[in-house]
Amino acid sequence: MSDEYAVRTRDLWKIYPQEPRPVEAVRGVDLMVAMGEFVAMAGPSGSGKTTVLNLLGGLTRPTRGEVWIEGLEISSLTDRALAEVRMNRIGFVFQSYNLLPVLTAMENAEFTLLLQGVPAPERRRRVRELFSEIGLEGMEDRLPPKLSGGQQQRVAVARAVLGEPALVLADEPTANLDSATAEALLDVMEKLNRDKGTTFVFSTHDPRVMERAGRLIRLVDGRIENSAVGTG
Amino acid sequence: MPKHDGDIWRRIAWRNLWRNRRRTVITASALSFAFAAAVLMIALMDGMLEEMVSNGTRVVTGQVQIHAQNYDPERSIHDTMGGRGGLDVAALMDAVDAVGGVTGAAPRVYGGGLVSTGDESAGAVLMGMDPAREEGVSRFGAALVEGRMPGPGEIAIGADMAESLGVGTGGEVVLVAPAADGSTGNELFAVSGIFSLGMGGFDETFALLDMGSLQDLVAMDRDRIHEVAIAVERTGDAEAVADRVEEAVAGLSEGLLTEPWSVFQARLYFVTSLAAAMNTMIAVMIFGMAVFGVANTMLLATFERRREFAVARALGTSGGAIMRIVVIEGLFLGLVSLAAGAALAVPVVVYFHEFPLDLSRFVGTYSMMGSAVRPVLTAEYSWDGPLVSALALVATGIVSALYPAWRTLRVPPADALAGR
Repeated sequence: MSDEYAVRTRDLWKIYPQEPRPVEAVRGVDLMVAMGEFVAMAGPSGSGKTTVLNLLGGLTRPTRGEVWIEGLEISSLTDRALAEVRMNRIGFVFQSYNLLPVLTAMENAEFTLLLQGVPAPERRRRVRELFSEIGLEGMEDRLPPKLSGGQQQRVAVARAVLGEPALVLADEPTANLDSATAEALLDVMEKLNRDKGTTFVFSTHDPRVMERAGRLIRLVDGRIENSAVGTG
Repeated sequence: MPKHDGDIWRRIAWRNLWRNRRRTVITASALSFAFAAAVLMIALMDGMLEEMVSNGTRVVTGQVQIHAQNYDPERSIHDTMGGRGGLDVAALMDAVDAVGGVTGAAPRVYGGGLVSTGDESAGAVLMGMDPAREEGVSRFGAALVEGRMPGPGEIAIGADMAESLGVGTGGEVVLVAPAADGSTGNELFAVSGIFSLGMGGFDETFALLDMGSLQDLVAMDRDRIHEVAIAVERTGDAEAVADRVEEAVAGLSEGLLTEPWSVFQARLYFVTSLAAAMNTMIAVMIFGMAVFGVANTMLLATFERRREFAVARALGTSGGAIMRIVVIEGLFLGLVSLAAGAALAVPVVVYFHEFPLDLSRFVGTYSMMGSAVRPVLTAEYSWDGPLVSALALVATGIVSALYPAWRTLRVPPADALAGR
């Protein structure tokens, strides 16, 4: 499989066994995201956006179908190998920030670097550099509860991109943020996408995000309804 | 997976431990009390066992004995050390005295006979001994309720025997005893003292004589003795001292047998070993119960954090590392509890060691396996009990964490993130 795609899926299905009838959350999704794309997946609640992101990130296994990340088929990997793929190739940003509450902003941001075995001085340097770029200077030693929602989400973005993954998956990253904070966060992600070539795939129903996406994919009932070049 | 700084897992585990301070304090308190209870109980049990062993061996027998190989179990008058020719007793005693860990050694000659006065008579075990040396081994001297230890031509008898014979200090008794040469020895002895060991068997049947006097009575040369009773500093060291004594006396005569009290007081040894095994069982039961309590707490703690673990896994943390965090947390809980438990247990153990609780108001002295046990609650210092309890405590923390950790890993990260 070619490496020109950051993400590629073929006939991807996720069915949850449930009574009285299994739930088909994702139904035959074929998706291709090129390196460096800034893609938004939109759709109503229950359309399967989060499940698709989870499948792309290897956080859950497909019922059938295949997922390639940078040409590596991940759906048949062991848990350990999947963890390694996530560590080296994928960054996550969650709707509710999900910072580790016992770690400071600095420790949260450097977490992936630490897993990658980057030496402490290098980790600190990279975090400080990025923090100054995204307006988190001076927040290094704060624990998450001492940060605002916007600051927490920026730390989460820093954590996602610092390991220099090929792909960042963001699940409704602006959902809990006010307009100004959401715009600022999008600026940060756009800048990272532009400057570092990081591929972003969002799930969202925030029009601000959709507007700025390079491509908009609409999901309805677990299927891709259409995929169109965005205005961003 | 690349190597990384393991410090992060310890940091996360330690901080997690104190996130819910109240819960951690309550759980650690439960473990600390379990530890303190186990240590105190073992120390008190050890105190009782030490009392039993001490009374069982320090009153008469000593903790190590040397005999002729064929002396036990018949204890024939003819089976003296070194055979019928005997041995150099002074050299033997010098060799024993020089062994490290020996605090006293006393040579003895035994015979059996009839003690009579007027119309009364009693069968007796006659023990010929050296009063000065007996002081370091047995408690006859300390148990004298009247008079003094016997010199040549004198005898000291137990209080019960004195009562049945109707004789006191200054009185006279006739001893009739079969001698080693086949004749029957008989002699008049002055009662120099009366002892009371508080143990019926000895007070009723034991009679002490100066060693030379008994040897004369039973027609034995001065270099013929039946036993050397040896006292050691710690009863627990008896076996090691016995080995050293055996080595030290090996060149002095053929056929010498050196045995620790665990051999010649086998029943007492069995009972104390059983009690020690029970100590371990009770400690296991205490911590076995604690495991469920702590596991429940850890289960709650990890269940509450399943989303965090899922996030860590989403970022690339391996299952092994997640497991490590939870297990290290259990280890820290164990160590914190250990520190608190030790702070609780040590002063109590020291108190009961220094100031034994006298329960004689409620219970009288009782005898177990031929050993008098005073009704005194005393704690004995030992490393074994606290060490086993400490290991059990830390193991409790770790084992309690394993199941919750395993449970955490079974849930796919996406499900945990979605709260499923």
